[in-house]
Amino acid sequence: MEYELHLFIITGIFVILALSLNLVLGYLGQPALGHAAFFAIGAYTSSLLALNAGISPWIGLFIGASFAAISGMIIGHLTFHLKEDYFGLATFGFGLIIYSGINNLTDVTRGPMGLPGIPQFIAFTDLYNSLIFYCILILLFVLITIFLTRRIIYSPFGRVVQSIRDDELAAEALGKDTRQVKIMIFTIGAFFAGIAGSLYAHYITFIDPSSFNVMESILVVLMVILGGMGTIGGPIIGAAVLILFPEMLRFIGIPDAVAAPLRQMIYGFLLVILIIKRPQGLVGKYKLW
Amino acid sequence: MITQATMISQLFINSLIAGSIYSLMAIGFAIIYKTVKFFHFAHGIVYATGAYITYTFFQIHRFDFISSFILAVVSSGLLGLLIYQFVYRTLQVKKAPNLIYLLASFGVFIFIENIIALIYGNQILFMRPLAEASSYSFFGASITLTQIVIIVVSIATLLALWIFIEKTKLGLALKAVADDPQAAQLVGIDSVRLTQVAFFVGSVLAGVAGVLISLETNLSPTMGFPAIFKGIIASIIGGMGSIPGAVVGGFFLGFVENFGIWYIPSIWQDFISFTFLIVFLVLRPSGFFGVIPEKELI
Repeated sequence: MEYELHLFIITGIFVILALSLNLVLGYLGQPALGHAAFFAIGAYTSSLLALNAGISPWIGLFIGASFAAISGMIIGHLTFHLKEDYFGLATFGFGLIIYSGINNLTDVTRGPMGLPGIPQFIAFTDLYNSLIFYCILILLFVLITIFLTRRIIYSPFGRVVQSIRDDELAAEALGKDTRQVKIMIFTIGAFFAGIAGSLYAHYITFIDPSSFNVMESILVVLMVILGGMGTIGGPIIGAAVLILFPEMLRFIGIPDAVAAPLRQMIYGFLLVILIIKRPQGLVGKYKLW
Repeated sequence: MITQATMISQLFINSLIAGSIYSLMAIGFAIIYKTVKFFHFAHGIVYATGAYITYTFFQIHRFDFISSFILAVVSSGLLGLLIYQFVYRTLQVKKAPNLIYLLASFGVFIFIENIIALIYGNQILFMRPLAEASSYSFFGASITLTQIVIIVVSIATLLALWIFIEKTKLGLALKAVADDPQAAQLVGIDSVRLTQVAFFVGSVLAGVAGVLISLETNLSPTMGFPAIFKGIIASIIGGMGSIPGAVVGGFFLGFVENFGIWYIPSIWQDFISFTFLIVFLVLRPSGFFGVIPEKELI
């Protein structure tokens, strides 16, 4: 039972991450390829605050997410004048900068050795109770994320966001400040990614740079595309499939040394095939092209 | 004792080697970009494949090094061609936007990278066909035979490429397609055939770079990733799609990275390069010698 609960929690965290990327990729139509960076900023900020300053994870969660949002705003300001594929490259580069930063700032982040002993939200003595608590907590955050995403998408602001995706020139012709809207939605996406990062850190209690490398960014992109961009259900399904599928490989009894590259190989293959054959994903309506 | 002069000449050699490899990567990338106008990120995995094929023939099947090298370079060219034919060509027919190519290219990269990991494992492999011990003095610094070979072969490849593009009919046709595909079609140039040529030639260059670097360092399945990134950064610094720009950008990046360690510890090398990428994208997206007008980039 513990194992299933653990998988539920991890899936929930990635659902939040995928939903946050979906705002930018699915609704705004901009290829943000460095989303793991915001996940990392949220995780490291609240972990370091808890470890070094004794700040409660409940507060650290929001400080971490705010830091992620501020970084998102800065990156948005710097790069939203670029054409979409150059924007993709720039955000990917940003992901690499953050990864290389946490890897090398060993005085602060302990680099590749990682940060152990991150406090949990509530210290339980019993593993089962702790898992139940995290299941409820994560479920709550997933529901909040879904609720807020819907609020944004069905608001007048959300309509403008989607109009930029469908026809940016037309949105501009109607007098919408598209640049401002893009930066805004990118900032909101970064905020939720920061929340996911902080939840992850305070659940696992150990983080190191390998959880936030560029492959992780591509994995989240794949979750959104696989499920279906521009829907609420799509990223949830995508995240669930891609988190639970590697566990199945483990059950068939494939050794870890083979399973890891095999899994990634399938990811790469899926990405290519989906893009060519089914760009709207499993349940999506919106086609990226 | 290491004097400052020795240090400078040593850094100079290191910069030259890094610069040669980056230039080869950047030019291959630029030739392809110039023709198709999208990011061929999987170029990095062609580079790694070149290295692994050389390793397979030379180290496992005991071919002599020159034949292994030629086999590997030709296979790299064919791999690039296959990627174009099976992935990008399909997308071109459906008139996909640029971003789609970038995502598909990532997929191809990850797919092949992990095939390599499955076949050869994740461990680091070595290949040392040249006598390691023989080193020469260069203004106080020492340079090994391998390093001389890397620099000489890179420069020879660059020259051969220059002759190909400027002096042969095929090369000129390639330039014509890159400059104006419609006009090229009007005068009877088959643009699909020429795109195939661009992918083959560009991928051969990546293969050469991959083999050369593995003489000096190690082979690992993940080696393609930093390589393509340095190639893209060099291309952007030099000016996207410009071939002379790619050479300048490659050597510029090689020198900045290596002389940068005077001021900053070497672990920050990648950080510096990626920051360069963002700085150029933000401030001067057309690079030093941008042939593509800025309005097409933003």
